[in-house]
Amino acid sequence: MSSRPLEKSVRPRRQRSRVSLFAQGEPMIWLTGGGLAVALCMIIGLLLLIFCNGIATLWPAPVPQFQTSAGSVYMGEVTRAESFRSNDEKVRVLQRKLVRTGNYEISGEHFVWISDHDIKAETRPEWALVIERTAWGRFYGFPEGFTLGGDTVASTPEAAWEMFNKHHRAVSERREKIRELETHEIGRVNRRLETARLNLRTVELRDGKDSPAWQAEHAKFLETEKAVTAKFATLQEEIVRLRAENSRYVLNLKTAQGKAVAMPLSDIVRAYPANQLSFIGKAGIYFSRWHEFLLGEPREANSEGGVFPAIFGTVIMTLLMSLAVVPFGVMAALYLREYAKPGLIVSAVRISINNLAGVPSIVFGVFGLGFFCYFIGASIDELFYASSLPNPTFGKGGILWASLTLALLTLPVVIVATEEALSAVPNSMREGSYACGGSKWQTIKRIVLPRAMPGIMTGMILAMARGAGEVAPLMLVGAVKLAPELPVDSIAPFVHAERSFMHLGFHIYDLGFQSQNSEAAKPMVFTTTLLLIVLIFLLNLLAVRLRSRLRRKFVSAAF
Amino acid sequence: MKKAVLSATLIAAAVLTAQAQVQVDAGLPDYKAVQGVSGTIKGIGSDTMNNMMALWAEGFKKMYPNVQVEIEGKGSSTAPPALIEGTATFGPMSRAMKQLEIDGFVAKYGYKPTELPTSIDMLAVYVHKDNPVKAMSLTQVDAVFSKNRKLGNAEDITGWGQLGLKGEWANLPISLYGRNAASGTYGYFKENALGKGDYKDSVKEQPGSSAVVQGVATDRGAIGYSGIGYKTADVRAIPLSRDAFSYPVEPTPENAYSGEYPLARYLYLYVNYKPGSELDPLRREFIKYIFSKQGQTDVLKDGFFPVPASIARKTLESVGIKAGF
Repeated sequence: MSSRPLEKSVRPRRQRSRVSLFAQGEPMIWLTGGGLAVALCMIIGLLLLIFCNGIATLWPAPVPQFQTSAGSVYMGEVTRAESFRSNDEKVRVLQRKLVRTGNYEISGEHFVWISDHDIKAETRPEWALVIERTAWGRFYGFPEGFTLGGDTVASTPEAAWEMFNKHHRAVSERREKIRELETHEIGRVNRRLETARLNLRTVELRDGKDSPAWQAEHAKFLETEKAVTAKFATLQEEIVRLRAENSRYVLNLKTAQGKAVAMPLSDIVRAYPANQLSFIGKAGIYFSRWHEFLLGEPREANSEGGVFPAIFGTVIMTLLMSLAVVPFGVMAALYLREYAKPGLIVSAVRISINNLAGVPSIVFGVFGLGFFCYFIGASIDELFYASSLPNPTFGKGGILWASLTLALLTLPVVIVATEEALSAVPNSMREGSYACGGSKWQTIKRIVLPRAMPGIMTGMILAMARGAGEVAPLMLVGAVKLAPELPVDSIAPFVHAERSFMHLGFHIYDLGFQSQNSEAAKPMVFTTTLLLIVLIFLLNLLAVRLRSRLRRKFVSAAF
Repeated sequence: MKKAVLSATLIAAAVLTAQAQVQVDAGLPDYKAVQGVSGTIKGIGSDTMNNMMALWAEGFKKMYPNVQVEIEGKGSSTAPPALIEGTATFGPMSRAMKQLEIDGFVAKYGYKPTELPTSIDMLAVYVHKDNPVKAMSLTQVDAVFSKNRKLGNAEDITGWGQLGLKGEWANLPISLYGRNAASGTYGYFKENALGKGDYKDSVKEQPGSSAVVQGVATDRGAIGYSGIGYKTADVRAIPLSRDAFSYPVEPTPENAYSGEYPLARYLYLYVNYKPGSELDPLRREFIKYIFSKQGQTDVLKDGFFPVPASIARKTLESVGIKAGF
């Protein structure tokens, strides 16, 4: 039945006639081995660079204070140093340091270059405090005192720091509570009102504004609105109460330049006296920062805080993409390899698929935008979400459209890998199945597919690796700078496939090229890159484990 | 004409800028949350305003937790199509809309999009921090960046020596950094600094405002233009004069408000507002937030300059919102 050629016979080994260097293959061993070594060196070098920079970013640095000969004082973390030639007549090579001085709301600068030549004195003040805030970036200063509800309860650095440590946890918990109330409670109330409004609008679109149905719906809407208003007021009261409680705790600080600053404890995310920390203390700060980075939400236009929405978005998108691409890819490959008669058309299809793999990814992005978002999405909106127009629901970039676009992008990988796997199943097995009376589909299902499964999984792994690292098409079909709402959450219908999402790859681009405080963002680029690589590695590991389990299953089923 | 309006209204506001650090106009109201606001805000447009949009979104979300906000900033030219298609609720733009873009909008909706000046930016010309150049006139900037030299400089400027630098700088060629053509900054600079002339082919076009600054920071012979909000310690924004005969003006907030600085501009937000109608609560409140004390503090945080209360009032009224201050 099948016109597949039988297995190739072993090629007769060529007789060695002359003993030359080339014939023995020594230079070729060196050449190929050298090629491998260069490739390995490049990969290891790149990984090492990302790893070293990414790991070191969050480690707390000491905070020196510099006094310049011009009389100014700077305090902050030294970011890097370089040598430069001064513009003086006699050309001299000097050293200078980039110091992160923070306190942006006072100085208007995040960083300052200080030439070593100008430094008169460098000290490490015992009470130099590094403060990470919810807004305005970092603050460097000295604790001066602590006020609780207007009363000064501490007036020395030690006492102030003690009071800070005593109260900061409770204040942070209240801040979290406020957030919780704002996100979940008020969110739910508002959603009820929005649903009522949309229902009203739907009726209005269907029956017009004068119909009795609209009147009824309108009455219902007013009722909801009243209930919501009452609920809203109580929640708001609670929030105001918590805020008022929090605003009683104020840490009094002094900058290195001597300016007094009163900072509410609720603005402080983390503070530490950098020059006093022991190794264990530093490690504590380090891990607490990693914790925030991995599980927190971004703050301050993404330059601070965590990347959890981006991690989540990347994983969900990759999984959705795999769900879309594997079944279609496998089906296409099955037809091509098992059912279709080899001939001109099949060859043409195969060539087209291979060519598809070479199409630049941005072209897929443009296609996705035009076809999925503007055509299919807009049609869905008109049919099902007319009440919220002109605000688009599906007619814009979203995680579903992004996943489908990437599925198209990675389709050739899956098809080619599956075809390879199918052709590796020996024909004798198929023939054995037919001989026992198995039909074509039974043979494919019971004999061919299980044996090809590891190969298909390899295709999936390749597709996932390709898809998770792709950024260019995503920029067009749904990856955005800021989308703290996760595409999967606890609000019905739980999966929000229409939502835009954050993606680690896009986050890296955004940090590197778009952030306002680019100097502070640069180290975060490395950390985020490291995270993306680790994430892709983990996804692949998962698929590899799945594959080896399938393999074991196949081995045990065979005997 | 736009520039005349800008300087006229801003001179009135120059009072605010007595201190070194700009303050938000005390006449602006505190934003107070109201109920019944939810839905999705989608901003598509300017890259310069990307971070500012994100800051506004963060602040607005604090007030309205279940409002979803999505910000996309790939260049001002992406805003008009998104507004016309209806994929965006707001179109942030770092330049005014062109007639062609307005026509496209009018063809679909029958009225013009509404323009909201949200903040003030200065387009700064950056050089490497070690570069000793004191100041440049726009004529020189034109001769550096443009191949047509519409502002009439006699010769093409390609080396720092031609700008009067001595020593090792005299022989250093100028390397040019700029934005890509989708950017509003690109369009604004072309119109106002190059007299609508064409950019030289040697301009290295960067994908973002921050990328321009980073490029200039690592290249000793570099010159580039970008918003003042993106300034870092690695670059220096040089004083500019309108022509060879006027005094160079430092890019400071005072000079932006007084209209002295030649490349001061508004950063706009465009909305699809049918004149005479009432905005939906979501857009109304977001606009009110932008023109409140909180929204304008966000502007400061991002390194740009807030608008005075008088402009805020006029802008709110232009979209049918009662200002109340």
